[in-house]
Amino acid sequence: MKTEKKSVIAELHEQSLQKQETFIKHIANRLGREQPLTTPPKRSVSGAVDSWRTHTLDPEERISQFLMNWESLGGSAVRLADMAEAKNYLDRLIGEMKAKKIIREDHPELAQIVSESPDLHLTVWGDKDFAAMRKAAAEAEIGIVMADFAIANTGTLVITSTPQRGRSLSLLPTIFVGIVKAKDIQTKMGDVLSVIQTWNGKEMPAGIHFVSGPSRSADIESDLTIGVHGPSIVHALVIG
Amino acid sequence: MGGFNPAVKLEERIRQALNDEFLRNAVKFTTGRLRSSKQQAAEQMGNWEEWRERGRQIRLHTIAHLDYYLNQFVQNLREAGGYVHFASTAQEAVEIAMQIMEEKQAKSVVKSKSMVSEELHLNDAMAAKGIEPVETDLGEYIIQLAGETPSHILAPAIHKNRQQIADLFSEIGGEKLPADTAVLAGFARSQLREKFLQADIGMTGCNFAIAESGSFVLFSNEGNARMCSTVPRTQITLMGMERIIPSWEDLEVMAAILPRAATGQKLTVYMSAINGPKRAADGDGPDELHVIILDNGRSQQLGDPEFQEVLNCIRCGACLNACPVYRHIGGHAYGWVYSGPIGAVLTPLLNEDQDQWGEVANASSLCGACYEACPVKIPLHDMLVYLRRRNVEAGRTDATERLGMKTYKVAVSSQRFYQLALKLGQFGQKPLARNGEITAKVGPLEAWNRLRVAPALAKKSFRDSWKELDMELQHELVELKPETKARMEAILRKRGNSHEN
Ligand code: SF4
Repeated sequence: MKTEKKSVIAELHEQSLQKQETFIKHIANRLGREQPLTTPPKRSVSGAVDSWRTHTLDPEERISQFLMNWESLGGSAVRLADMAEAKNYLDRLIGEMKAKKIIREDHPELAQIVSESPDLHLTVWGDKDFAAMRKAAAEAEIGIVMADFAIANTGTLVITSTPQRGRSLSLLPTIFVGIVKAKDIQTKMGDVLSVIQTWNGKEMPAGIHFVSGPSRSADIESDLTIGVHGPSIVHALVIG
Repeated sequence: MGGFNPAVKLEERIRQALNDEFLRNAVKFTTGRLRSSKQQAAEQMGNWEEWRERGRQIRLHTIAHLDYYLNQFVQNLREAGGYVHFASTAQEAVEIAMQIMEEKQAKSVVKSKSMVSEELHLNDAMAAKGIEPVETDLGEYIIQLAGETPSHILAPAIHKNRQQIADLFSEIGGEKLPADTAVLAGFARSQLREKFLQADIGMTGCNFAIAESGSFVLFSNEGNARMCSTVPRTQITLMGMERIIPSWEDLEVMAAILPRAATGQKLTVYMSAINGPKRAADGDGPDELHVIILDNGRSQQLGDPEFQEVLNCIRCGACLNACPVYRHIGGHAYGWVYSGPIGAVLTPLLNEDQDQWGEVANASSLCGACYEACPVKIPLHDMLVYLRRRNVEAGRTDATERLGMKTYKVAVSSQRFYQLALKLGQFGQKPLARNGEITAKVGPLEAWNRLRVAPALAKKSFRDSWKELDMELQHELVELKPETKARMEAILRKRGNSHEN
């Protein structure tokens, strides 16, 4: 079975448990405390400024503001009545772009609107071994996911990582399509963060990604360019 | 090790895919769209000053209770399956990082921007062990190829022009590349994609760490921080011990002020919260996650009434852009990792050798533009005065003379420089930086005069670069290349506008 010798990582971990005590105690001492604080400190203020906390748009305003902000970031944004319209939109996009390889999240609603054809190779995340999926995502021209939320104020899609929805889907393909239900569009980031806060602990997904438009860089002579690492073209479809 | 080991064939195909029409058209399509889209009237989030004050309050509270919040963060991150390590010094941090890399038998490590990594000189340590560090932020990649160091926190390659970049890329690509932004970026993308797919470890910095859940948050526009935390099987995150915020709701404030102060954006393209390693059933994300928490001189500022607030810094770079001295001398003149006003404060504070680094505090005009720009209201100009006082008390007055007084002398002795100085607010007059313009107010060298107590004779030697700078100051102010300066001014203008109510 296992050899006597502990792995380097296990040793580092033990070292860390010991070091933590002196490290934190030193901080406490510098702050004028003999021992580290163990009860939650009282806070006079936290979170956003008061005027912003109460700021809420009605559902229609949220939708229009999200669409406007996503567009102004360089993305394409449309509002569609239902998933059937989303299917038409996607078919058109795939045709226009002459896409040959696409990848999507494993989601029942997406199963109805994205399907394989002789000219189109489709990978569904989660249905192959990990390495093969990552490879498929790196090769795909289009990646399609259902977003958990959108934020109107910043033009942002919020996407958690799950076994059915890898991080790669919204990152590696050249074109990213995020679909969000109209009811999931929130006014501001705080409205989403307060939901995430309730996930603290076991339910927290390993990655939560806030995506606002196409990947961009201004590192070459401050000249804006697109798609340096992430997708260059981003479509947001609001359903409902 | 196991896991992702892409076949050469895949790389070939990716290379093709990246160089083909498809991507080029995609880039053209979106860039055109962005350029032509009119700047939408930014929806106002109320008064910027209120947000600044809130940001300051959150940072003040966190640092004052750092022992509690750090413990909370560490406990939660461990519960989520992550490893945490503590390093009191840069040396310790390097040793821990190297042990992890060697245990993983890493050959290459992809890195997204991390000032802490610069602080540790980690790339040198890796290279010495035959591990290839790959900087993946486009600007960092450029200067790594050039064998240089960053000259700006957020725009590390701001001193390079397109042709120089084209030359660098042509050299590694083995073919002549045109000085065209889209082509150059596409080339970097394809090069770096291969690096990402081959890397054994992804390394990131940390913008904020959320105590209540043990999560940490990365901001990026290019997506390289996401790549580093998605593709490689092992992730190492370097974190200054002060990066903590208590809760998710506080993140809204940081997310509101950091991008606005940095680039004038409402939010960076990507904001990623990482909560431990990937879950067992997840198809991607790192199997193993290590966070190294670094002190390296930071704890010395705790409990110091003059300097504790420097730990509130969120590394936005706004004070660099606002600083007339920085705009003249550029980032490299500061000699260490951090430049501009925050560098002028942090460098002497975090480095023990004051004879070597004490003078950096003099690379400032005490004009207060940095404070005006700072989204968490750090009184950098006051700190600079305190540091100068320290120098005076320690007998390091030569530097103060030369960089404080002599620049002033140069300015008044030359009509041209005097006008320039006034225009840029170079020599105080308490300018208020707004919309990229600086208006003059109040008297200039008051602070200077107040503190100019009987100077002792200093025989301390300058570091070479300061010697050089000093030499140049005898004749002329050291100026950035006009093109670099123009880019700085553009950044400043953009940021300024976004603050308008
Ligand atoms: S000191 Fe303030 S302005 Fe300068 S980098 Fe830090 S937070 Fe930004």
